[in-house]
Amino acid sequence: MLKTLNQKVSIFLILFAAGYLYLSYNLKEYPYVPVDSDFVPKILGFLLIILAIFLFFDKSSETEEEKEKRQVPKKEMLVLLAVGGMIFLYIFLLEIIGFVLSSMLFIFACSWFLGYRKLVTTILVAVLFPLIMYLSFNYLLQIRLPQGLLPF
Amino acid sequence: MGAMEGLMQGIQVAFSWQGILFVLIGVVAGTLIGMMPGLGPISAIAIMIPITYGMDPSVALVMMAGVYYGAVFGGSTSSILLNAPGISGTVATSFDGYPMAQRGEAGKALAIAAISSFVGGTVSVVLLMLFAPALSAVAVSFGPPQYFALMFLGLTAIASLSDGSTIKALITATIGFMVATIGIDGQTGTSRFTFGNPNLLEGIDFLVIALGLFALAEICFLVKNRKDQSLQNQGDIGSLKLSKADFKEMRGPMSRQSFLGFILGVLPGAGATIASFIGYISEKKIAKNPKEFGKGSIKGLSAPETANNAATSGAFVPLLSLGIPGSGTTAVMLGAFLVLGIQPGPLLMADRPEVFWGIIASMYIGNIFLLILNLPLIPYIAKILKIARPMLISLVAIFSLIGVYAISFSTFDLYLLLIFGFVGYLMRLFSFPAAPFILAFILGGMMEQSLRQSLTAAGGDMIILISDPVSIGLYIVSILSFVVPIVRNRKNAQADQAEEESNAS
Repeated sequence: MLKTLNQKVSIFLILFAAGYLYLSYNLKEYPYVPVDSDFVPKILGFLLIILAIFLFFDKSSETEEEKEKRQVPKKEMLVLLAVGGMIFLYIFLLEIIGFVLSSMLFIFACSWFLGYRKLVTTILVAVLFPLIMYLSFNYLLQIRLPQGLLPF
Repeated sequence: MGAMEGLMQGIQVAFSWQGILFVLIGVVAGTLIGMMPGLGPISAIAIMIPITYGMDPSVALVMMAGVYYGAVFGGSTSSILLNAPGISGTVATSFDGYPMAQRGEAGKALAIAAISSFVGGTVSVVLLMLFAPALSAVAVSFGPPQYFALMFLGLTAIASLSDGSTIKALITATIGFMVATIGIDGQTGTSRFTFGNPNLLEGIDFLVIALGLFALAEICFLVKNRKDQSLQNQGDIGSLKLSKADFKEMRGPMSRQSFLGFILGVLPGAGATIASFIGYISEKKIAKNPKEFGKGSIKGLSAPETANNAATSGAFVPLLSLGIPGSGTTAVMLGAFLVLGIQPGPLLMADRPEVFWGIIASMYIGNIFLLILNLPLIPYIAKILKIARPMLISLVAIFSLIGVYAISFSTFDLYLLLIFGFVGYLMRLFSFPAAPFILAFILGGMMEQSLRQSLTAAGGDMIILISDPVSIGLYIVSILSFVVPIVRNRKNAQADQAEEESNAS
């Protein structure tokens, strides 16, 4: 039944809108206003369902360019996931070991992983860039980035 | 206060040493970021926002405006040199700019682009100076119903004009609006869709959305194309000199497209991309030898370049005078204003004349900087395109993460950023445009507020929304913005079919 991509996306959107509407209908009521906080969310939920139905019956097929854009080889998917994982790890470590150290690790690891093989340049950038960012944020802009393990 | 007095104040801001320094920083940073493949003005502005924290608002916004038009210009450089437009607004530039560069006239093409941009930018700043105060004066009388209608128009216009499917654009706009409803409701104090998470009570910060949907999502595409070496081999760019005959060629498109581009920039939803395409097409239609277009025609390069820069300043008219952005980029720009505690709108000119006029006055300087910078320095600036992709990916990722961290100081927002990066990537995969999302997200809160204010004032009576000529007019335009493209598409389709049939027979 779900032949086209539009139909699959549409079903997903309808489910999403239904969940959103369910939450909207369970919002606490506030008795003293003519327009309560659930008014706009309800409109949006139904609007999305209507639009998704239109999408379901939308016959316009994908252009070749769009199709090509959607073709991602499995290997690339894994690379993307790995980069996402590295960013996740970076966020996790940010407040523990500090901005400078985690950024150094991230820049080095990420550039190396993605196939950049100039060791000296990588190390130079990985060391200097976080240091310059950190010092200029902390002292020029007065924005404290996580200090972490470093003494300054 | 008169406009003259305000303008003097603005000139004082713009010509102070800080003003000049930060415009310079802004246009340079904007040019560099805009030149990067994939990173356009939205990413450029979003990445630069953290730097403005704690700065004097007028100087900070002068810089952000510089980033904006710098990024539009930067995009044209990569279009010309590499046929790799950094942003959609400069796609039309590559039609004639790249063939010219291939002929070994890259220098000439860059010079034409720089001069056209300068003319387009400067003419439209003059127009901005004339129009923005006038529109402010009209908008002062607007109440919540008119504002609601105006924002409604902004959203429908961007949906119907964005490239690709209108229905998809509307869907992303609706979801953007839904995301804006997360957090404590300002009027009743009900917490909505927070799932009991205290980090969501204040809602999601717009930077999380802007950097996630644009910068991070773009990283995914850079990762995919990381082995692309085309940026590395870039030859000599040749002489920058233009002859008198070249100038004569440019004169027509520059004068026409400055005005046309400005008008298209003012209109909600249109912006630089549409202005550049319409500029290109209209010049091709009236040209004596349209066959030259696409093969390195001077007119074909000058027209979109003039138009996209003129549209950039034009887009400031609704932003400054109504406080309502008409495009994704100006929506992020509005975010930059709000971060600094400045609410653009009809009262801005009276309340903060130094900001209002400072931005306008600084655009003159910014455009001159762009010209000075770009003419002699472009061969050196273009070297940045040689940064290896893997390095670029790591650096952009760090910039985005720190940009968000510096505004919220919580890792929760960083995880959200990662999620929105993923959402942005999916949207791109399935060809859902991201600009309506960010515009709806930023307008969402304001729209809900004005809608509920209007309805509360009227005791819940919907008629209030369509009880005055201004609102009715705006709704009619909104509806037209849908109907016209649909009818046109249908006609085109019929014409195609007729053609096919006649070919077949």
